[in-house]
Amino acid sequence: MLKSSTLAMILAGSRVNELDVLTYYRPKSAIPFGGFARVIDFSLSNLLHSGIEQVAILSQYRSYSLINHIGTGAAWDMIGRHRGVSILPPVKGHEAHEEQLDWYRGTADAVYKNLDFVQYHQPEDILVLSGDHIYKMNYQSIIDYHHQKDADLTIAFLKVERDKSAGRFGVADIDGEDGELGGRVTNYWEKPEKPEADWASLTVLVFKPEVLYEALEKNQQCDSYEFGRDIIPQLLADGKKVYGYKYRGYWGYTRTIEEYWQSSMDLLGDNPLIDMEAWGLRTNLEHRGIRDVQPALIRDGASIHNSLVYNGCVVEGTVRNSILFPGVHVAKGAVVENSVLFFNNKIGENCRFNKVITDVNSTFGMGVHVGVVTGSTDDKITVVGWNNQVPDGVEIGAGATIYPHLKQDRWPENKKVANGEVLK
Amino acid sequence: MRTQKEALVLLLAGGVGSRLNILVQSRAKPAVPFAGMYRIIDFSLSNVMNSGLTKVGVLTQYKPMSLMRHLGTGEAWDFTGRSRGVKILPPHTGFKDSDWYKGTADAVRQNIDFLEKNPSDEVVLLSGDHIYHMNFHAMLEYHRFKKADVTIGMMVVPISEISQFGSGIIDKENRIIDWEEKPKNPKTNLASMGIYVFDYKYLLDSLYKDRDEVDFGMHILPRAIDNDNVFAYPFYGYWRDVGTIQSYWEANMDVVRQGSVISPEAWGIVTNVEAEGRSADRAPARYGNNAQVSASMISAGCIIRGTVVNSVLAPGVVVEEGAVVRDSILFDDCVVGKNSQVDLTIFDKQVQVSSNAKVGVGSRHDFPNIKNPTHLYTGISLIGKEALVPSGVSIGRNCIVNSHSKEDAYPSNNVADGETI
Repeated sequence: MLKSSTLAMILAGSRVNELDVLTYYRPKSAIPFGGFARVIDFSLSNLLHSGIEQVAILSQYRSYSLINHIGTGAAWDMIGRHRGVSILPPVKGHEAHEEQLDWYRGTADAVYKNLDFVQYHQPEDILVLSGDHIYKMNYQSIIDYHHQKDADLTIAFLKVERDKSAGRFGVADIDGEDGELGGRVTNYWEKPEKPEADWASLTVLVFKPEVLYEALEKNQQCDSYEFGRDIIPQLLADGKKVYGYKYRGYWGYTRTIEEYWQSSMDLLGDNPLIDMEAWGLRTNLEHRGIRDVQPALIRDGASIHNSLVYNGCVVEGTVRNSILFPGVHVAKGAVVENSVLFFNNKIGENCRFNKVITDVNSTFGMGVHVGVVTGSTDDKITVVGWNNQVPDGVEIGAGATIYPHLKQDRWPENKKVANGEVLK
Repeated sequence: MRTQKEALVLLLAGGVGSRLNILVQSRAKPAVPFAGMYRIIDFSLSNVMNSGLTKVGVLTQYKPMSLMRHLGTGEAWDFTGRSRGVKILPPHTGFKDSDWYKGTADAVRQNIDFLEKNPSDEVVLLSGDHIYHMNFHAMLEYHRFKKADVTIGMMVVPISEISQFGSGIIDKENRIIDWEEKPKNPKTNLASMGIYVFDYKYLLDSLYKDRDEVDFGMHILPRAIDNDNVFAYPFYGYWRDVGTIQSYWEANMDVVRQGSVISPEAWGIVTNVEAEGRSADRAPARYGNNAQVSASMISAGCIIRGTVVNSVLAPGVVVEEGAVVRDSILFDDCVVGKNSQVDLTIFDKQVQVSSNAKVGVGSRHDFPNIKNPTHLYTGISLIGKEALVPSGVSIGRNCIVNSHSKEDAYPSNNVADGETI
């Protein structure tokens, strides 16, 4: 087996406030997605299919779920003589190096703090990825382009609507050097208020190793340590060869609850935008023991339309436009629509769910109503944190947020949680 | 890691199971798929694992490739580690050039070196082709308490079925005092489940004693009952010998029946999902806008756009718009085309039914298959691995379509009841 010449570094450490209770106990990259997988599986599967099997994952926020999920790496074939996946948490340095006593102060700092790991592998190319996006990409294409241009840094970009969403990303001007394929990056703005370009960065970066080492070293003198905000502008200012590779395809973003929900809905339909089977999505079936759950039991009287249902589910009620993870039970008379139910939720008889995301392990008593009421104009998404026991007959309004693992006496006596209310 | 000697397990997985017809054309009976994602042998292997036993020899003989791929390293059943292991014991040349196993006892005798290398107090001898849930630890405790030489797992079956089994007559203490192998005129309804605990030394002595004793049920047990301490261990749970097409179909239907007693997951039955890319890496089952599914088991990777009633679907089955699948069992990656109907049929893997075809048509359920009247006589039809059912074709009851049959194999658009393609 040839030694892989590319080292991939996945930035998987962050939690974001917008995802709220879903990232209470896990980093964003470990959020369940697609009825059986996790968000980071998309990046890991892309690496697998690109033949890149030397991978490091940089993580510092509540890594336990992620560590469990990665396991030995065998699920993505990242195990073997020259293959491997390592999780790199922050470490306490020697007292002589006081600057290393810190947490990761940013994505660039995280890589800087692990330069010994990086250099040990003597990579020819360093691929830096975000672990938070839903997409299918063969990284070899961008690496080939990077070589072809003899670039110092090559960044993957996607065309987005300038006014609507470009301001939420790093955006760039790309010249016409290679037409549809890509070109030289002439300008770059990180999350600009008034975007002047419409090519958004996917946070897929290919570096020449020496260029990266030098940039990270230099960046340590600054007071911000991010690839997007600091490293890319710095390289451009230094006149380095920075190229843009134009990606065309689906790109799902999961930064907010609305985006997470929308990306999930993109899994549904006759010709789904996200086709996990065709994309060859791989996950670790040992995580949560999902390899051992039996095929779903669909009972007499059940009705399931336009939905994804994994093994281990038992459905007696009605499920529409929804995604059911392993171990979800939907009892008789219950109606679940436009919802995403994570592992092992038990939905009691005659419950009504509409536009709801429930984290793992909650039990809903009989006749619990959650989410949007049909015909109502308030159609915000309701989020329920994990390990809750929702008493019979409770009504939880649209856009409400239920914190994880609530004590039973937190449930209001009138059994009503108003629209948009946050129950802590 | 334990240091205490624990019982050694021998799993007899060599059976042809010929009454399962084309389902055992390319695999041994224990390797026949069951309940969507499992294989029959998973039940015995998981019972062994859940009883805390970790040393297993699997005796194979007939078409073992599928079985060997399925067992892999044994990791799925936690049989890997310093003192744990599962070992495949195929037939090998012995005193003569080719010593095929002449019977169950002969099979064990030919692997006596495996027994001698793994000394223990007891040997648990199992068959790999039953659907059941049992704790062998409790049976071993019972065996020790009775100070038995041999203990046999036994259960009450309908008297009409006893002729398929070894049967025993017991006294008040559960000591077996009389034995009949597959009796025509039974004196009892207590059947052997093919599950034995032997005292280790007693088993070795029995095997050395007389090389002409080649079968446990026919030779070794009757002599043991006459001369030594043989006890029945009563079992009251679910146990099925799925040796016929009808019993195999019924046991699968038992899994989907509401309020059913058989639940692989609750029983702790596990399988090797990674063997042959079975349910590993399959996306969740996808239900279309017009899907109608009831009383069924649906595995990951299925795509359901039509109707599925009272059926068991293995990973990757596609049921197209307007298609109806009823009372059937479909193995991995079968496709039922648009507006086709499938009724009371078992599909082996990767069967392709084109559009507007009918499989399992008519009311002559009792008109047996002409070539194999003892295999198919209750109305169930069988479609072999990778066979094609062309568009517009209609297949009757108790029919067999052999594996890999393509369009030119069909003499006409009508396959009459009892025909074989």
